[in-house]
Order: sequence, then structure tokens, then C-alpha cells
Amino acid sequence: MSVTSIFFQTLIGGIGIGSLYALVALGYSMTFRSMGLVNFAQGSIYMVGTYFGIIWYQGMVMNLHVPYAVAFLIGLLCNALLGIVLERIFRPLAKLDLMLMLLATIGLGFILDNLFTIIFGATGFAVDSPLPNTPWNIFGVRVLPQMALLIGVSFALMIGNQLFLSKTKWGRAMRASAMDFEIARAMGIPTNRMNALALSIGCMMSAAAGILAAPIVYVSPSMGVAVGLKGFAAAILGGLGSVPGAIAGGLVYGVLEALSAGYISSTWTQAIAYIVMVVVLMVKPSGIVGEITVEKV
Amino acid sequence: MIVVEDLHVYYGNIHAIKGISFEVQTGEITALIGANGAGKSTTIKCICGLLSPREGKILLDGSPIQRMSADQVVRWGVGLVPEGRRVFPVLTVDENLEVGAYGRSDKRGIAQDREKIYEMFPRIKDRRKQYAGSLSGGEQQMLAIARALMSKPQMLLMDEPSLGLAPLLVNQVFEIITQLNKDGMTILLSEQNARSALEIAHHGIVMETGKVRFADTAKALKENPVVQQAYLGVG
Repeated sequence: MSVTSIFFQTLIGGIGIGSLYALVALGYSMTFRSMGLVNFAQGSIYMVGTYFGIIWYQGMVMNLHVPYAVAFLIGLLCNALLGIVLERIFRPLAKLDLMLMLLATIGLGFILDNLFTIIFGATGFAVDSPLPNTPWNIFGVRVLPQMALLIGVSFALMIGNQLFLSKTKWGRAMRASAMDFEIARAMGIPTNRMNALALSIGCMMSAAAGILAAPIVYVSPSMGVAVGLKGFAAAILGGLGSVPGAIAGGLVYGVLEALSAGYISSTWTQAIAYIVMVVVLMVKPSGIVGEITVEKV
Repeated sequence: MIVVEDLHVYYGNIHAIKGISFEVQTGEITALIGANGAGKSTTIKCICGLLSPREGKILLDGSPIQRMSADQVVRWGVGLVPEGRRVFPVLTVDENLEVGAYGRSDKRGIAQDREKIYEMFPRIKDRRKQYAGSLSGGEQQMLAIARALMSKPQMLLMDEPSLGLAPLLVNQVFEIITQLNKDGMTILLSEQNARSALEIAHHGIVMETGKVRFADTAKALKENPVVQQAYLGVG
């Protein structure tokens, strides 16, 4: 293999894992921008969403083996409902002290993790790939079909979310209530419902990430711990609360991880990715994309 | 018409509004004047549903609205021009107006009203694709008024629309308010600038430390020696 194809091979791997982080980071950012709350249960929500979808595909419910695409949609739908429930739980929290908010979301994460350990056991399982396991060869770079699917669907979801926020009436209303909750309400926007919608979208993104990654990673009740932390790091890296920032942060973080594993040492992957994150934040505390501030003309 | 009856509002344990009663007649401008901290903004917030009173009633054409949330009150035809303008800074001017029309579903009517409003405010029309946060203070005030008009209100609550504006712009804002009223809009105007407010208002309410001190016609208030001394800077 040539040097360039090794580089691109690593890069593709990084983009794959990066789009996973980006989807989880979107969950953090959607919650933060709408409710001003950092939801440390996001990693657990990713795990829960994965189970909600994959159990149907793997025949763990009444031995049903539904097609992968249907299982994917079931997982998204269940997590969307979870988002609506979470908004109701978080609503009183959003008015509280930051410390209480953090404790409550961390606690919620523990509850979900333990609940799923009780139901499904602590040991995980591998998921059969819905697509062939032989990699495609694209200009000398080998790409697993499932990895291509992960990247493709993630990008489609992220673009779809961006279009929804920028072009539709509900998207506009969500942005308005994220900017000024009180005035949005005085303009007739049911802000609590907008928050529920934002949380639902975030939870759906996490479920999508988990179900798409399931055939590549290993599914277990603790699968959300590392991804949750990295998704948070990615959200911070991109600028917490910014939607394009979450995407950029996720991709940059994933690629950094892959490059440092490929070229330096896989033992140092985590440390290197975190160091870069810290350096970026020292130079630009608002993150890569940061808050959109308006210049006066 | 709005009737406020024995309204009491608390912030925690602080008794901010201590049993006020007044009326806003349909088709009139009613000025709510008083010093900073007199309770003008609190009263406005209470009427539009952003605060709920502990006691008392607010009747809109006879129906009680004091327990409604703000997103319901706007559907009853009460528009808000908030203190400090508070336009959505990272939405464009167009988008701000669209958000103002959130409760409406007649797409064509919204588009027509938007163009009509742009005719009234040509300065913000030129900037319709810009972020509202990039506008000057005066333009933002125009946008805040325009945004409130997009919900097709029967009545406007205006909280300190002249605050922080240059004198020339203050005059412009008062002209707009007069024009809106001539076109049939009922207006409750909260103002520290008592002289200008009473100049265009039909009735006035003078608030002091959470209570109504005087409620009378604007003409009578302008001739009231106490009001003259405390609020109009006469004698």
C-alpha cells in the first residue's frame, strides 16, 4: 500500500468514527441551545437508542427478525419519544443551579445504564452486518460497506437537520426560542414543545449513530460511556450549542483519533485527541465554529 | 378593552404590584407612566402572560386572561413590543417577522402583511436579509414593532419603545404609534418619557411604587400640578 492510500484509509476510518461522534455531539448541542442544560446522559441515550433498534433486528423480541432499515426507524422513533419524556423531566431542572443539573443528568445516565444491564445483562453481543462484509475498493482505499452507510446516512441526517432548522417554520421557531425563550413565547411559540422537539431530534441522532455503528462496534449497556464523553468533547471542540460546530467538532475529533492511532500510537489516541482539544480551546475558547455573533454594520 | 382589577404581583417575597386597577379603552392610546421601578414593566408582563399575578383579574373584552401563558394570550390578539426591543439577533429581519406570525397559518395573508409592514418601515425593508442583531437601535425598535404587528393584534402592549433612542428617532417612534392608533389599534404605552407619552395618549395612568397614583384623561394629567412637578418637569 502506498503512503497516500494509507493516509486516506486512516482518514476514512476517522471520518466514520467522527460522524458517530458528530451525531452524539448534536444531541448535546441541541439540548444545550434549547434548554441551557448539558445532558450528561447523552451517552446512555445513545446506548438506549441502539438497543431500541437492534433488538428487533437481532430477533431478541419474540424472535422477530425485522429488516435492518425498519429496525433503524423503530429505534429512531422510540428515542424520539424518549426525548419528549426527557424534556418533561428536564423542565424543572433548567431553572436550577448548574451543579444540580449536572448531578441529575449524570444520575439519569446511571439509571438508564443500570436498567439496561438488568434487562439485557452486562455482557454485550456482536451484531450481524446487514451489508456484505467484504470491503469495497475505492481507488486503493478499502471501505467496509457498513462504514460507507454510517458515513452516508450520518451526513444525510446532519444536512437534513440543518435544512429543517434553517428553512422550516418549526426550525425558525426553535432557533428563536433558543435565542430568547421569553420573547419567543410572547410571539406565540409554545417553547416547551420546541424544547421537546429539539431533545427528540438530539435523541434520534444518537439512536441513528448507535444503530449504524452497531455492526462495527460491540453492543453492550456500557457502550455509551466512552462515546458519550467523546461526543461531549466534540461538542465543546466545535462550540457547545452550535449545530455546525457539533458536526465539525465530531469530524475533527474522529479524524484526530484515527490519525494519532495510525501514525503515533494507539495507546496514546485518547490523550492526543484530548490534548489537541485543550489546545484548540486555549486558542479559541468558543470552539471551532463558536457562537454566531453579529457584527454591527 | 382591557380591564385590570386589583392586581397583585410578587417576585418571590417582594410585593411588586400592590393591587392596581385600571382600564384600557378600545381604540385609544393609554399611557402608563412612572419612574424606574414603579412597576410599569411588571404590569405589561402580567397582561401579556409572561408573569402570573398572585391575585386579581385581567379581563380582555370580558374574558379573564390572567392565568393564560404568553403564547395563548397572543392568540387572543394582544401583541407585545418588549422593553429593550429584544429582536432575535441571529435571525434575519424577514425571519423575525415570520416568527412574529407564528400563530397564523394563512401563508398568503402573512406574505401580504409583511409587504404592507415593509411599506410602513422602509428602512428595515432594505435590510430584510440581514441579521437583526446587525441593525441600529432605531431599526431594531422598528423591527420589534413590525414583528408584533405580524400577529395581527387587536391591541399592542409597548414597553418603553423610546428607551435608548436618539431624540430624532424618539419622535419617529411616537409618530408611528400615533399612526397605528389612527388606523384603529388599541395601545397600552409604558413610558418614562411622560411628556411625549401624554402628548399622544387619550388616557394616562401614573404608577408609583407598585400602585396607581392617578388615572385620568391625558389632558387632566397634564394639568395636574403633582404630575407636572414630578413627571413633566414643570414649576
